[in-house]
Amino acid sequence: MADAFGAIRAVARAELRVGWRATLLMGLVFGLVAGIVLGGIGLAGRTASAYPRLVDAVHLDDARALVAADQPQLAAAVPSLPAVAQARTDQAWIAQIDGPALRFVSIGAPTTEHDGLVEPVIVDGRAPARGAPDEVTLSEPLAQSSGLGIGATLTLRMLTLDQVSMFDVGFGPPAGSTTTVRVVGIARMPAWGGALANVQAGPAFAAKFLPDIVGYAIYARFTAEPDAAQRFGAAFARTAAVVDQISPSVVSQYLPHTVELPSATVDPSVRAAEQVLVGGLIVFVVVLALGGLQVLGQSMLRHHSARGATQRVESALGMRASERTAARALAAVGAAVVSGVLAGGVVLASGWLEPLGSQARFEPAPGFRPVWPLVVLGGIGTALVFVLVVAIAAAVAGRRRAAAVPPVRAAAVNPFRRWPAALLGMRLAMHGRVGRGGVPAVATVVAASLAMAGVVAAVAFGASLQRLVDTPARYGQAADLTIVDAREADIARIVADPRVAALDVGATGTAELADGEPLEVASRDVRKGHMPIAVAGGRMPTGPGEVAIGPRLASGLGLDVGDTIEVRRVQGGTVVLHIVGKAVLSSQNHGGIGDTAVVTPDVMRAIAPGQPLYDAAVLAVPGAADALFAELSQGLEVFQREVPTAVANLADLVTLPELLALVLAVVAGAGLVHALLTAGRRHAREVAVLSVLGATPGQVRATLAVMAATTVLPALVIGVPLGLGAARVLWWQLATATGVAGDLAVPGRLLIVIVPAVLAGALLLSLAPAARAARTPPAVALATG
Amino acid sequence: MQVSTSHEATARAMDVPLPDAVPEAAPGADGPGAPPPELVVRGLRKTYEAETAPVRALRGVDLTVGHGEFVALMGPSGSGKSTLLHLLAGLDRADEGSVTLAGVRTEELGGARLARLRRRHVGLVFQFFHLIDHMSALENVALAALVAGAKPAEATERARDLLDTLGLLEKQGERPAALSGGQRQRVAIARALANRPTLLLADEPTGALDSDGAAEVLDLFTRLHRDGQTILMVTHSADVAGGAQRIVRMRDGVLLDADTSGEPS
Ligand SMILES: Nc1ncnc2c1ncn2[C@@H]1O[C@H](COP(=O)(O)OP(=O)(O)OP(=O)(O)O)[C@@H](O)[C@H]1O
Ligand SMILES: [Mg+2]
Repeated sequence: MADAFGAIRAVARAELRVGWRATLLMGLVFGLVAGIVLGGIGLAGRTASAYPRLVDAVHLDDARALVAADQPQLAAAVPSLPAVAQARTDQAWIAQIDGPALRFVSIGAPTTEHDGLVEPVIVDGRAPARGAPDEVTLSEPLAQSSGLGIGATLTLRMLTLDQVSMFDVGFGPPAGSTTTVRVVGIARMPAWGGALANVQAGPAFAAKFLPDIVGYAIYARFTAEPDAAQRFGAAFARTAAVVDQISPSVVSQYLPHTVELPSATVDPSVRAAEQVLVGGLIVFVVVLALGGLQVLGQSMLRHHSARGATQRVESALGMRASERTAARALAAVGAAVVSGVLAGGVVLASGWLEPLGSQARFEPAPGFRPVWPLVVLGGIGTALVFVLVVAIAAAVAGRRRAAAVPPVRAAAVNPFRRWPAALLGMRLAMHGRVGRGGVPAVATVVAASLAMAGVVAAVAFGASLQRLVDTPARYGQAADLTIVDAREADIARIVADPRVAALDVGATGTAELADGEPLEVASRDVRKGHMPIAVAGGRMPTGPGEVAIGPRLASGLGLDVGDTIEVRRVQGGTVVLHIVGKAVLSSQNHGGIGDTAVVTPDVMRAIAPGQPLYDAAVLAVPGAADALFAELSQGLEVFQREVPTAVANLADLVTLPELLALVLAVVAGAGLVHALLTAGRRHAREVAVLSVLGATPGQVRATLAVMAATTVLPALVIGVPLGLGAARVLWWQLATATGVAGDLAVPGRLLIVIVPAVLAGALLLSLAPAARAARTPPAVALATG
Repeated sequence: MQVSTSHEATARAMDVPLPDAVPEAAPGADGPGAPPPELVVRGLRKTYEAETAPVRALRGVDLTVGHGEFVALMGPSGSGKSTLLHLLAGLDRADEGSVTLAGVRTEELGGARLARLRRRHVGLVFQFFHLIDHMSALENVALAALVAGAKPAEATERARDLLDTLGLLEKQGERPAALSGGQRQRVAIARALANRPTLLLADEPTGALDSDGAAEVLDLFTRLHRDGQTILMVTHSADVAGGAQRIVRMRDGVLLDADTSGEPS
């Protein structure tokens, strides 16, 4: 045993002497690739976990309600309602802030200690000091939209409850206290608004401005019972009804007794964006890992195969295969340690990377966040994999030729392979020579196909995303302007304006499905021109009995074009509507996309009780939108087009698929270059044999060109459709979650270019080994090959 | 059993005239009726640039191999036999001297013309076979015929004939790795004959074989020679060399005997 180890050490030393440079270089390259792969995994983890970590970090509440200040009994009753495990009651104010535009903010401040319930993460600065009544934090969205940063001061002029009750009729200057506060921090939550005020102050503020409060913000955490939300909701509604009878609130029309459920409500587009990001990252990591292993494996096989004779000598001297392999593994330990340290270092450095895209806004702990287990275990794992690959390569290179060789299937020369160059080239491309320095060609084809699929998928996905972001009609916002509650006289005047290209009058109401589920329905009455509406399959409804439903609604109900829905009629009974299409409208109620059903105005009247909300959607002729807005907003309540948050989230992602495509293309390209160049070198002997048989340099070039083409063609033939298929599935998922049309934007020009470009690149690359073959006399190639 | 390897057969199969073939009166070919020698070598020198000192592998070799002759080339290891064979086949370039193959001087030919000359006139057999691993025996042989310009059907036909002649028909679908050394060498010889060469060059064709295998190959060569094939064979074995018509000895890059026997007298 001691003898064997001595021999192993001696061989390892010899190996090191000859090959330390190549091995070290491979160690560095492999460590870098492994580091990027592991860093990518870490980043995927950080991205995917950002939202749940934020939910944890802020101790998100399960239920939230805003109760008017004139109903303190209700506020006091909430903590003892059924299913409440923990509750906290803040005070709430509404104040006008000074600025160029009239603007109101809500302010919240805790009165009591509240351990571990709703604590926004402070991403910049600090929380208001306990004793400082003049310190506040702003929500990130407010800080962004107002441009207020840390150190900014703002003057709050508070409204009284009576003034709030006159919000729609006007109430003069604020009658409550006026105070100046300083922004000391910027706070982060999964979502703001509703009961959660964008300005948060401390207990000192709460105490000082108690007389000015307009309400109570109550946050509750439920017990673990499965029906906690329902029980709480029912009990809250009951209690509120009782309180309303005893002492009705003056602001009841502004503060309906609704319960928000923050922990249960995750915007589906957040989840969809997260899935896309993590999915893309995983593809990237897998491709890079495969590429790295392939390059390392191939290089190591070549390295050890070139020295196969040494192993045969060692074998003749009585060293067993395991000992020869062990010696080579031992010689690689140094380089393995280098690769492990490098990989660990890269993973450590990747701790600086924030979650990708829109998920960054949910990161509860921005900045350096190394994943130590990944650093340590990843580094060790990288070193082990390196030694393992070296050992396998050495073992394969030193293995004796297998006894049984399967016969070639076709006994005759395939008549399609008319040309010797084609015959040999294709054969060489399809048969890597494992024992002599090649990973089986199948691995190359699979890796190249995956990379190609990745590139095509990423580009197609990116193109679809870009098209969505660039085409407001695709997210139901084709109109430049929307006029709320427009009167017929105004509409007639606007229709006559030559700057108006199209005008629809829309009505929105709520109908009920036969089972009582509410259904937002809309109708469009075309008054001028053509307002584009994205129809994802099918068409718009044209008559009674027809409906087009939003894509998200369709997937939520499990329905598609051709199915029917049963809707309650206002007069009683139900009506069956045939789904003739999927139309993308954005809701007038809550801004969601693709949740609305579209019917004709007649159907609308029959199924939507009460007065619908009317709006006029205006499409201006190109360039006229701003002027039209300026003019119309003088006398009417006009809104300019708004990008819904779901689409804004997606717009953040636009560059990512392109980046992914670029990285994949570089990795795939490098892999292909490596594969083709090494294949040329690996097959130098066969090429020399071809010369011996009398092949001219031209025929040799042709052989290598055929070989290169045969290597890349499967990648194109498999990769392109695979990529398009993958992109279609991914995009459909994201689009449906967002509520927009799921049809893929096929990057036609790319597809037309990519096939000849890749082929041409491969052919060009084949010139390098061809030139080498032409330079090397066949006698020399045969002696060394 | 009939192996068609005569000059006439070759001329029939390779009916396309070579535009670059500049026939030249070979030295000694004085009689108008006498066929020119297959191979004439004059003053051939080759020096390898090795790491330590240049190796003068050939130091002026003169050799003539007549049409239909079977010559054995013998000599100690390192004397330059393989180098000479490679230069004859145009697989490497000489520093000095001339090689005239089938009446064509090779030293002035470019790569493509040299390749065409080789495909038309030369068949090569190596000690270590140099078969293509991922092709069947049949495909290995057919490839040579294809390169020589045969149509696929003809090439397959010819390959099958040759394998049949060499007793390997039942192994035609087998890959080289599945064949014995002797069988591999017979496939290699079949491949060398696929283009109906006028000159068969063999570098220790029996070197990797046991005595049975060597006898097999030698028997084959004798038969080929009987049918008119010109053969130049390098060998270490006196037994194998004994089967040849004439033995030429080499030492330190030069031929030992005055070499005239190939020239018609
Ligand atoms: N490519 C090369 N580079 C450098 N030197 C070479 C090369 N090929 C052959 N030589 C040298 O040229 C000389 C002749 O070699 P060659 O292979 O012709 O000998 P040989 O007669 O065939 O020997 P053997 O009987 O052992 O095969 C030797 O000294 C050899 O070392
Ligand atoms: Mg030799």
